[in-house]
Amino acid sequence: MSLRLDTLRECLEGVIPGHIATCDAEGMPNLAYLSQVQFIDNEHVALSYQFFNRTRQNVLAGSPVRLLLTSHLTGAQYRLTLKYLRTETGGPLFEQMKAKLAGIASHEGMSEVFRLRGSDVYRLLDIEQVPGATLALPPPTVNFLTALRRATGRLTACGSLARLLETALDCLGGEFSIDHVMLLMHDEGRGRLYTLASRGYPESGIGSEIPVGAGIIGICARERIPIRIGFMTSEYAYGRSIRRSVEADGQGDSLETAIPLPGLPEAGSQMAIPITAFDHLLGVLYVENVADLHFGYDDEDALVAFAAQLGLAMHHHQQAEEQAEDAPPIEPPAAPLAGPPLLVRHFAANDSVFLDDDYLIKGVAGAILWTLLSDFVERRRTNFTNKGLRVDPRIRLPGVSDNLEARLVLLQRRLEERATGIHLAKAGRGRFLLAVDRPLQLISS
Amino acid sequence: MLDSDNAAFIQTGVSISLASCAPDGLPSMSRGLGCKLVDEGRQVGVFLRRSQSLALLDNIRSSGRIANVFSLPSSNRTLQLKGSDVRIVPFLPEDLPVIERHIADFVLEVVPLGMSEAVVRAILAYTPDDLVTVTYSPCAAFSQTPGPKAGTPLG
Repeated sequence: MSLRLDTLRECLEGVIPGHIATCDAEGMPNLAYLSQVQFIDNEHVALSYQFFNRTRQNVLAGSPVRLLLTSHLTGAQYRLTLKYLRTETGGPLFEQMKAKLAGIASHEGMSEVFRLRGSDVYRLLDIEQVPGATLALPPPTVNFLTALRRATGRLTACGSLARLLETALDCLGGEFSIDHVMLLMHDEGRGRLYTLASRGYPESGIGSEIPVGAGIIGICARERIPIRIGFMTSEYAYGRSIRRSVEADGQGDSLETAIPLPGLPEAGSQMAIPITAFDHLLGVLYVENVADLHFGYDDEDALVAFAAQLGLAMHHHQQAEEQAEDAPPIEPPAAPLAGPPLLVRHFAANDSVFLDDDYLIKGVAGAILWTLLSDFVERRRTNFTNKGLRVDPRIRLPGVSDNLEARLVLLQRRLEERATGIHLAKAGRGRFLLAVDRPLQLISS
Repeated sequence: MLDSDNAAFIQTGVSISLASCAPDGLPSMSRGLGCKLVDEGRQVGVFLRRSQSLALLDNIRSSGRIANVFSLPSSNRTLQLKGSDVRIVPFLPEDLPVIERHIADFVLEVVPLGMSEAVVRAILAYTPDDLVTVTYSPCAAFSQTPGPKAGTPLG
């Protein structure tokens, strides 16, 4: 087999539908259209099993399988010879194909009709290019290797988690030309993902949440696999519909719903990439575009490689902030507090914090803020360490694996975004300073 | 077997493909370049490029069997015909306008769906001396429009 499947994956996207040919026991051929072909590796592909039709009967009876695939970019046609191996009805491959099929079904007006029953896995025995006229492959819009090299270089130069996250999102725009991005962190204890940074939306959505398992981002997190959808589908929307379903489940109280999720109202293309390190899910990178079929296999590969680098760097910064700390900084003399007092109200039931009756944050980040402000009001304390917060009984961090530094970044961003007059600033490794512009009046309920 | 509605349908801007099987069951397939009705509508004739269809033509010669699918991209309406008396006959030059009309109809069908006309024309490019015609009497017809009723026999 001289042709490699990974060099002709545009044929698998289904822009020009593929054909599948099989043969019954009497030697009668059967020909049908394919909804999708999923690349697994250069020796394996998966086809969607939606209906028990003649093709499937023939396959299960042992028929050899031939596909005819056509590139929508060059017009080149390929015949693939396959051997059926097995059917998967759950797990990462199935979820990837189910999500992709939902997009295809919605695009074809077949949402009520197409349902993935299984992912049929085949061994690829041969690829043959059909003789005939072809066009030159159009030049790619991005050189992914160059983008990846430059982006990973920029990540390694970052000295803090906050800087790393900013740089990662800048790279996706500047190096990969991706304009709409969200980075969500995994809250393992609560089975949630919370938005820590975004680009390309009118509102940042920092602090907004999605349950693990819900929508494209939640399924990416649950299965720890990239999910890529090429057409708009309400089935994998991550916005209001998810919240409605969560609220209907009675989990609405624990989900952050006061902060709206960012997102394009009508994304044609969506892709969610898990960020992992050492077998741990740290978060999800989500990108989208209004155009259909905007992201291909190469985009997916590039972002998976980028997310691997990002995951290792995130892990490093989390460890660095907790295992060591720099000497305490010389605190600037506290500026006299002026102006009307800021009313800070804390509700212990869910650690929500309101500033002058405006909701700010809840959960762990709310507990951290309340602790910091209590110490400030009681003792004028402004100098804090990550280690100290980790063991503070008032905060009740979900576990050692929880990314405390990410929660501090979340809190810091939320405070700055709301122009609250309360500031958190890093003061060396493992340390940060609290600064307050106005007198505070704390009320706990 | 082929009612007038389906007979008209297969002669519009549909995508056409054919498959046959080797004695060991390995299928082969190719795209068709248009079709015509022969023998007062009792038979279908489909035009193929010989250079793209060597295995398919071999399998037709040895088995006499064919599966032939016609699908209209804009509606997903899809029809599969089967034949077991397939013959390979020389291409008749007077059928060239049929092919030209088919390509023109197909371009009109898929370019509004976002396909590049240059790519479509490359996929359907041919030289007349490469053409061959296969004819058969449909012995079974199935609707393959996507959905739970796909595969339902017609007639």
